[in-house]
Amino acid sequence: MGKRIADSEAYKNWERSIKSNASAYDKDGRTFKTESGIPMKALYTPDDLDAIGFKYEKDLGYPGFFPSTRGITPGMYRENLVRLKQYVGYGSPEETNALYKYLIAQGQNAISIAYDLPTQSGYDSDDPKVEGEVGKIGVPVCSLKDWEFVTEGIDLEKIMVNSVCNAQASVAMAWHIATAEKRGIKEKNLKGLVQNDILKEFIARGNYVFPPEPSMRLVADMIVYAAKNVPNYVPMYICPYHIREAGSNAVQEIAFGLCHGIAYIEEALHRGLHIDDIAPRITCLITGRHRDFLEEICKFRAIRRMWARIMKERFGAKDPRSYRLSMWDYEGGIGFTPDQHEINMARASIAALVGALGGVQDIGLCTVDEALGTPSEKSLTLALRTAQIVAYETGVTHTVDPLAGSYFVEYLTHELEIRANEYIKKVDELGGMVKAVEKGYPQREILKSAYEYQMAEEKGERIVIAGNKFVSEKKEKTRGFYKPQPKMVQKHIMNLKQLREKRDNARVETALAKLKKVAEKPARNENNLMPPIIEAVKSYATVGEIMGAFREIFGEYQEVTGL
Amino acid sequence: MSEAEKIRVLLAKPGLDGHDRGVKVVALAIRNAGMEVIYMGRHKTPKEIVEAAIQEDANVVGLSNLSGSYRELFPKVVRLLKKNGLENVKVIGGGIILDEDIPALEKLGIKIFPVGSRTDEIIKHIRKSASN
Repeated sequence: MGKRIADSEAYKNWERSIKSNASAYDKDGRTFKTESGIPMKALYTPDDLDAIGFKYEKDLGYPGFFPSTRGITPGMYRENLVRLKQYVGYGSPEETNALYKYLIAQGQNAISIAYDLPTQSGYDSDDPKVEGEVGKIGVPVCSLKDWEFVTEGIDLEKIMVNSVCNAQASVAMAWHIATAEKRGIKEKNLKGLVQNDILKEFIARGNYVFPPEPSMRLVADMIVYAAKNVPNYVPMYICPYHIREAGSNAVQEIAFGLCHGIAYIEEALHRGLHIDDIAPRITCLITGRHRDFLEEICKFRAIRRMWARIMKERFGAKDPRSYRLSMWDYEGGIGFTPDQHEINMARASIAALVGALGGVQDIGLCTVDEALGTPSEKSLTLALRTAQIVAYETGVTHTVDPLAGSYFVEYLTHELEIRANEYIKKVDELGGMVKAVEKGYPQREILKSAYEYQMAEEKGERIVIAGNKFVSEKKEKTRGFYKPQPKMVQKHIMNLKQLREKRDNARVETALAKLKKVAEKPARNENNLMPPIIEAVKSYATVGEIMGAFREIFGEYQEVTGL
Repeated sequence: MSEAEKIRVLLAKPGLDGHDRGVKVVALAIRNAGMEVIYMGRHKTPKEIVEAAIQEDANVVGLSNLSGSYRELFPKVVRLLKKNGLENVKVIGGGIILDEDIPALEKLGIKIFPVGSRTDEIIKHIRKSASN
């Protein structure tokens, strides 16, 4: 090791000059810290890299190779420019299909289907339990017919279709498979994704239906089915994103997100799959925020490296594809202000830059008015254009991982990894993530962070422009939100009623009876639920009927509400 | 009510919406301000909420919704409270509530705290309205 920088006269000179200003020096790191509470020094030098034992080959290596810190492919954006993917859907299958076609014409190259809450909860649109929810925040999809409608005229082989749903993810995957089959796409060529990170529904997003155990069975059934039948389909992606939006900090976001991944992998390993059959099929949705820019960039680098190390060291993965965690980052609505909502565009552009500098594969941005309502076509287009400016104009995509080697960036990437590993250790001690969730451990940790965050904002310790500082007196009106058109919703419900009359109801009955029979059997590969779900979907059984059958067998989850 | 008596606040999420960060942070803030908080959790029907309000002898019912179904569900809770003779129970609502919908909800007696509201303002409002 060479001479320490801190021992040099020049460094001491600098330190003396800043020490005289106590608030700038901030010795204890009280003022200057990352959002995860990691203290920041005024200056980082090669000494900091020596202190963490930083070694280029061990900690960074080369993009596309273990430990993937710098990226998951050798040339990164030179090979595949970052994809732009907005999460959207509303009203009726017809309106949503038109919107997707519009977005594709504007240059969006992947689709992320937002289903309405009745669909996500496994209810048909005319169920009395779903009053006021149909067609809001997403598109209602009751049967294969609706899914065919939503994706009508969209090339499923070219456009990556992602279903954002979890409790009923198995049904959505079956819709995708059945539609592809009808359009003559071979199972082995089928590409697409389904979210299916059910554990995060319990601790963050809230759209669970069944208790954890049968929920985990469905996840494993899907992973096993995909590995054997639709090898290019992503049957689940972990979602640190929702953990962060629910209030966690970046360290918890990485840690709990990875803990979910570990739990699914272990479930699938019990079914006899090899780690290299599982890991390459899991991707990741994560936040990419304008706030705390550098910590966000380091977060992507840290989670990529941790994923690679966990796959190799914990699970013994040998296939290089197992070391590559593909990521879709999204600037969530939490950092956006409802007042002066147009300034959220500035926040979104910084967030898109975070994603590109952090080496993610897909970028999505909340729209300027998303803190206020379901976005209009105009604000969706603005979000898309914002991401396109970063992808096509800034030039940051021309070289791989351009911030690597920065003393601070490498220090922080390392520190995030160390701190997140401590959480993973704690979850292991509790008996794994399913047990930890049942005990309410991650829920409490997330709430604690959310509360601290809110208080810091109210006290003015965390500045929010147009939130708690620089608030404009003049209140602007916001207009142009999407509102469900009752006529379209009525038409959708009429189609549903017609479907129930016209379909072969004997076939539906047989399919649902078979489904229940298999669901009653133990969770094993020979009782995989995907084939009977696909058959039920093809018979045009509705999401309410399929999920209703499972509700009878699996029961419903009752939330642990302890504060 | 007397100063010594603790204000009892029942919080719930009506409808299928799962976003509970806001309501849980508000619950903690209200509890830390010395009030009694009962948080029912997600996916509650108006009927379940009103039954709990009776059971728990609540002074205030707080509703949170970020999926747009507040337009139907918040007024339904108010109607059911009245039907059960609980006119004195104060109702507050939070979440993503469109500006244009606020006057109609406030006319029904629901005080709205949309996203971006401060917890100390919510606490101040609860103290004031519960003492009336």
